[in-house]
Amino acid sequence: MDRRKALQKTGLLAGATLMMPTMLSILQSCKEEKRLDWQPEFFTEDEAKTVSLLVDMILPRTDTPGALDVKSDIFMDKVIARTYDAEGREHMRSEIAAFNADCEEKYGAVFIDLSESDRIAVLKKAEADSGKFNPGVWGTAVGEQEPIGFYRGLKSMAIWAFFTSEEIGENVLSYDPIPGNYEPCKPVSEVGNRWSL
Amino acid sequence: MANFNIDAKKDVTYDAIVIGSGISGGWAAKELCEKGLKTLVLERGKIVEHVVDYPTMNLDPWDMELRGGLTPEQKEKHYKAIRSGWIGTDTEHFWADDEANPYTEEKPFLWLRGHQMGGKSLLWGKQTYRWSDLDFEANAKDGHGVDWPIRYKDIEPWYTYVEKFAGISGEALGLPQLPDSHFLPPMELNCVEKHIKSRIEKQFKGRNMTIGRVAHLTQPHNGRGQCQYRNRCSRGCPFGAYFSSNSTTLPAANATGNLTIRPFSIVQSVIYDDQKGKATGVRIIDAETNEDIEYSAKIIFVNASALSTTQILMNSKSNRFENGLGNDSGELGHNLMDHTYRVGALGKVEGFDDKYYKGRRPNGIYIPRYVNIDEASKSDKFVRGFGYQGGAHRGGNAANTESFGAEYKDSILKPGPWEFFITGFAECLPYHENKITLNTDVLDKWGQPTLTIDAEFKENEKALNKQIQEDAVEMLEATGVKDVLGFDNEHPPGYGVHEMGTARMGRDPKTSVLNGFNQVHAAKNVFVTDGACMTSSSCVNPSLTYMALTARAADHAVSELKKQNL
Repeated sequence: MDRRKALQKTGLLAGATLMMPTMLSILQSCKEEKRLDWQPEFFTEDEAKTVSLLVDMILPRTDTPGALDVKSDIFMDKVIARTYDAEGREHMRSEIAAFNADCEEKYGAVFIDLSESDRIAVLKKAEADSGKFNPGVWGTAVGEQEPIGFYRGLKSMAIWAFFTSEEIGENVLSYDPIPGNYEPCKPVSEVGNRWSL
Repeated sequence: MANFNIDAKKDVTYDAIVIGSGISGGWAAKELCEKGLKTLVLERGKIVEHVVDYPTMNLDPWDMELRGGLTPEQKEKHYKAIRSGWIGTDTEHFWADDEANPYTEEKPFLWLRGHQMGGKSLLWGKQTYRWSDLDFEANAKDGHGVDWPIRYKDIEPWYTYVEKFAGISGEALGLPQLPDSHFLPPMELNCVEKHIKSRIEKQFKGRNMTIGRVAHLTQPHNGRGQCQYRNRCSRGCPFGAYFSSNSTTLPAANATGNLTIRPFSIVQSVIYDDQKGKATGVRIIDAETNEDIEYSAKIIFVNASALSTTQILMNSKSNRFENGLGNDSGELGHNLMDHTYRVGALGKVEGFDDKYYKGRRPNGIYIPRYVNIDEASKSDKFVRGFGYQGGAHRGGNAANTESFGAEYKDSILKPGPWEFFITGFAECLPYHENKITLNTDVLDKWGQPTLTIDAEFKENEKALNKQIQEDAVEMLEATGVKDVLGFDNEHPPGYGVHEMGTARMGRDPKTSVLNGFNQVHAAKNVFVTDGACMTSSSCVNPSLTYMALTARAADHAVSELKKQNL
């Protein structure tokens, strides 16, 4: 809840300019592309590929499912399509464009067309440069929230989408819909992963 | 316990009418029905039957299409209330429609409303504390507002009475400023809270930390089940483990056979008969058909929630009461109060990485008031006081960690860092100029005048908030909490959802609206026992006091009725 609200809030705060796609990105988008295997409600096909690749790099498959396995990208598209207002949607679009324009300027191609090492470099820089979410009390951030930028916001949304998916929520995290009692000092070893609810 | 009698067509005459079915209205209905009065409860919204009408009570996030997210249309419907941060798809249906029920903010004010059977008793925080003579004597001692017409000894037996029925869990401390309730066993502190409690109590003389006193059952009680630690309370509890009108008082009222509850009944006014010198009934508009209907009764309890109650009284004009029913003093609508909210401190706690908890406890810690309780604790910066709520949990914001990829993903599946916070609730003084007025320029969906709210916190509340933050930072730092961050979100009134005042109790009809038994001074068969009646605000949560005042007033009402005094 915190993350989602903070994300929506910062979506309005963060400043980014609407970038036009450059000739280079149009040319590059023609080569070696797999088609998406899902139909986005909000994203363009290229935007969807960008977001899918980002969430896959942030939360990859390990011995547990990754973000793409639980369709976090598809859910994020739906959330933006159905809960953002027109201004929020437009802002998301412009932020993805600005992110790609930045990749082009520094590495000569949009994000999905970069080499793996360049993409890792982009994410490392984004981690270092993006703002942080203020802590919250009872679901609301305290203090004045500074703009957190596109990357941190997207990462936060990806984590929310990941944690609240049925597969992760029921089978990977510790799931107990009706605890029945409160055990105030339980060893972590008896619980395992964090509680999903 | 199904099958409420909602057929108010065949009979327009009752012994008693109760306007509103929230915490205080539910209590009025129960007490009056159990004392044998044929009682009509008028509810503005829909019927919400316990369990049957809790559509989201068992949903996991992934069971909801948007996992809690609201559509732009839902946000628009709740465009004012959404500022609270409380509204998601899981509870959206229990919050009033702001578009159909507009209000005007002269100064920023958040007015949260629950327009359904049970009202906000489905949504409240369940924190329940007795008030003490520190509270009931405060106005008389420092001269703000007027004196309460009652003292702790007047209400003490009624606290016990409502607590035994409602079921209040908590720990007895024997503090004069926060009298103990008749308790069910307390919920437990987790290991970090226990650690901080011992440090605070050792390092700060006169300060205590305890588990919150709450209207959650820690064992089965009066046919209701105990808390299952799901923390999905505001969706409605299928176990009936927290106190709501729906789970507790209205079923008891219904069991008498004396209850009729009429949904979709917007009360337009209380009818006052100049000849008889008393109220004779209530005029409503059917929210669905727009039909005007009048119901009559010998006594009328107005329990529509603080501001709505006063709105009804202000809209009840007659030759005798040109400025609203019971407004001889000119105080009707004035002295609006709330508690300050979201000011305190938070930080991280190290050294408990191998400890966790099981269960989502719908409760936290409480630090009772410790300033201005005696000469030794007297502040020269402000009058009155504050208490803290808070708690420890494992959380953290995984998105903030500067990392990504396989190792990162596996790490965030583990429990996050321990965090601890406390946030104060300060008493607000009863300022005459903090007020509501009828607005005939802005009408609601049914053509009724709406409210203009003109209230603000002033210097005393700001001084209290400053102390709350300073003390919070000091206590957290002294107990070894790391990265301590003080905060003050500077919320305007309303965010505490403890609206009090606007039809205050008092000794003198010239300066108050209600007498010591919550009767309108000049219309004694009209009772007000919700937040509107409050003469001061204390710093502790008020709902338990509404329950006790209501039971006490209902007892008085029936006794007076039998003596033919009403």
